[in-house]
Amino acid sequence: MYGAEQVTRFTGGTHYVLDEELAKIVNITMALEMPLLLKGEPGTGKTMLAYAIAESLKMPLIVLNVKSSMKLIDALYQYDTLTRLNDSRFGDSNRDVSKIEDYIKMGKIGQAFVSDERTVLLIDEIDKADTDFQDDMLDVLDQMEFDILEIDKTMRAQQRPVIIITSNAKKDLSDPFLGRCNFHHIAFPDPDLMQEIVQVHFPDISQELLDAAVNAFYRLREFKEAEKKPATRELINWIRALNADPDFKVKELIKGDIPFLGVLFKKSPDYALAQRYVSRLR
Amino acid sequence: MFTEFFYILRKVGVPVSPTSFLRLQKALSKGLINSVDDFYTSARAILIKSERYFDLFDQVFAHHFKGVELTAPTGADLAEAAKALLDAWLKDPQAIADALGIDEDSLSKLTPEELIDYFLERLKEQTEAHHGGSKWIGTGGTSPVGHSGYHPGGMRVGGRSMNKSAVKVAMDRRYRDYSQEGLLTRQHMGEALKRLRNMVPTGPKDQVNIDETIYQTMKNAGEIEIIFDRRLKDRLKVILAIDNGGWSMDPYIDVVQSLFDYSRSQFKDLKTYFFHNTIYDYIWEDPPRRSKPFRVDELVRIDPETRFIIVGDASMAPYEIMATDGSIHIEERSGKPSVERLRLLADTFRHSAWLNPKSAVEWPYTRTINVVREIFPMFEISLDGLEKMVTHVMSRN
Repeated sequence: MYGAEQVTRFTGGTHYVLDEELAKIVNITMALEMPLLLKGEPGTGKTMLAYAIAESLKMPLIVLNVKSSMKLIDALYQYDTLTRLNDSRFGDSNRDVSKIEDYIKMGKIGQAFVSDERTVLLIDEIDKADTDFQDDMLDVLDQMEFDILEIDKTMRAQQRPVIIITSNAKKDLSDPFLGRCNFHHIAFPDPDLMQEIVQVHFPDISQELLDAAVNAFYRLREFKEAEKKPATRELINWIRALNADPDFKVKELIKGDIPFLGVLFKKSPDYALAQRYVSRLR
Repeated sequence: MFTEFFYILRKVGVPVSPTSFLRLQKALSKGLINSVDDFYTSARAILIKSERYFDLFDQVFAHHFKGVELTAPTGADLAEAAKALLDAWLKDPQAIADALGIDEDSLSKLTPEELIDYFLERLKEQTEAHHGGSKWIGTGGTSPVGHSGYHPGGMRVGGRSMNKSAVKVAMDRRYRDYSQEGLLTRQHMGEALKRLRNMVPTGPKDQVNIDETIYQTMKNAGEIEIIFDRRLKDRLKVILAIDNGGWSMDPYIDVVQSLFDYSRSQFKDLKTYFFHNTIYDYIWEDPPRRSKPFRVDELVRIDPETRFIIVGDASMAPYEIMATDGSIHIEERSGKPSVERLRLLADTFRHSAWLNPKSAVEWPYTRTINVVREIFPMFEISLDGLEKMVTHVMSRN
C-alpha cells in the first residue's frame, strides 16, 4: 500500500517555495490518510500549499471557501427544491420531476467524494464557521461517507482525497476536531526564504532591489505596535508598485526613503506609525 | 516505542492523546520515519495540535534526544568551536591558557593560526572522553564541545537553518513566540468574543422558507407561492461597565482599551459605563465620570437578557465595598453599601460576569476580590478567561 503511494510524493510546485519540513509533513499526512490542518499568519502560504500540492501531484483541486453562515450540508450536497417545484409546475426542462436524484447537486466535499480521480480538497479558513460545522464535518471526513437523506443513499468517497484545512485563527479549534488532524503551524518566512519567494514571483528582479526591498520590509515588520503586519502578499504588491513607478530609485530605498507605505500598511494607525518611523530615518 | 517521550510530554502539560500517539506508531511501523529529523517533524505534526505547544515540544524533544544522539564533531563544528575559542582568547588569555594546560607566556607566543591548530589537535584527542557535551574549556559559559550536536545534514531546503539537526532546531526554540504567555491582542479578543452572539430574525425578508412555501403552494392547489423569511441577525445586547479610575487600574489600561475597542466594533447594541473601584448609586456614561451619571436603579428596567459585563480589578479597601457610604468620593453618599448594589445587578442580569485584568493566581490575596467573586463569576482577561466568560454568559441558565 505504501509502495504505491511513494510514487505520489510531494516535492513542491513551480510557484511555491517549499520548506522541506513542510514537505515531510505533507507526505506523512498523505500516507496516513489524514487531514492536515495548517495555521499561521496570513501570507505564509497556507492556501498556496494546496494549490502547489494539486499542481505537483497533478490532482484536481477542489476549494471549499468556508463562510460564517455555512452549514455542513451546504458543503456536502444541495437538494434544489425550488427548481423541482418550478419544473413540476411548468415542466419545461428535461429533468424527471419524479426523480429526486436529478435535483441533488453536490457541494464541494461531495464533489471531492464522487470524483473518480484522487483530488486535493482545500477547506479554506475553517475558523470562520461555527464549532457545529467543524464537529459535523469530523465524522464525514473520518468515515469518508455521508448520507443523502432525501434519496436515502450513502455517498462514499471513491478515492480518499488529500485534505488540507487552513485556519487563520489564533484560537484553537475544538479538541475532537484537532484529534483527527495532523497539525502544522507555518512560521513567517525568514529573509533568505523570502528572497527566494520574491524571486519566484519576479524572476528578473535585480539583486540590489531584492536586498533593499526585503531588508526594508523586515525592518517595517519589526513594529510590535502594528496591528496588522505586512505579509508576503503586501511585499509582492509593494515590489510591483516599486517596479511600476518610473521615478523610483533603489538608492533612495537603501537610504531609508520608503515609498508606497499604504501598500504595506492597511490600517490607518499602523500607517501613521510607519510614516513616523520612516520620517525619523530621513 | 518512545513511550517515555510521550509521558514526558504529558507531564509537562502538552495535551497529547493516546490516539495520536498510536497514529505516530502507525507512521513508524509503515516505515515513514527514517531519521531523528523525520521523527521530530512527524511527531510534532501528529501529536501537537496547537502552535502554543510547539515551544514546549521543542524543549522536551531537545531534552529527551540530546545526549542520546551525540556523535563526534564534524569539521564545521570544530571550526566554529575554534572561532569561539579565539574570541575567548582575545578577551581572557589566562583562562584559555589554563584550559589548554599551557602557561600564558607560551600561549602568547603562538599566532592565532598556531593556536587554533593546537587547539584542534587537543580537541580531537579529547572528544572521545568529553562528548557528553560537558564543559571542557571553561570560558564564560561557551563550551565549544557543546557546539557539536547530532548532524544528519541538509534538513530544510529554504531558510537559514540549512544544516541543522532536529535537536538543534528544537534547541533553537523557534516557536517561543507562540507559547501561551503571549500578549492578548485585539485579534485574540475577536476570536474569543466571536461566540458572543444571539441570532434573531431581522432585516429584509430574503430567505426562502421551504416548508412554508410547500405548504402554501399545496393550499393554493399547486399555484406556486414562495414564502420568504427574515434572515437571522445578531441582536445581542451587551453592557460593559469599566473601572477606569485610580492607579490600581493603570497597568491594565492597554488591555482594557483594546477590549473596549473591539467590543465597540463588534456589537451593535453595546452600552458602556464607567465607575471607580466599585459601583454605588451611579455609573457614568462619560469616561471622566462627571457629566452623564446614570442611576443604577434604572438599569433594572433594561432587558434582563442583556449581558452585563464588568471590567475591573476589584481591588480596593474592604470598607469601600462593605461599608455604608463607603465611596472614596465624598459626593457619593447613598446609605447603601456597594456590595448590595452589586447583588442587585447580579440578580437583575442573569448573564453577568466580572472580568479581572489581574491574573487569577493573585485573586485569593485580595479580600475585595473574594467578596466580588461571591457575587459575580469572575474571569481573567486572557484568552482562556475570555473564552470561559463567553461560555458562561451564553449558557442558557
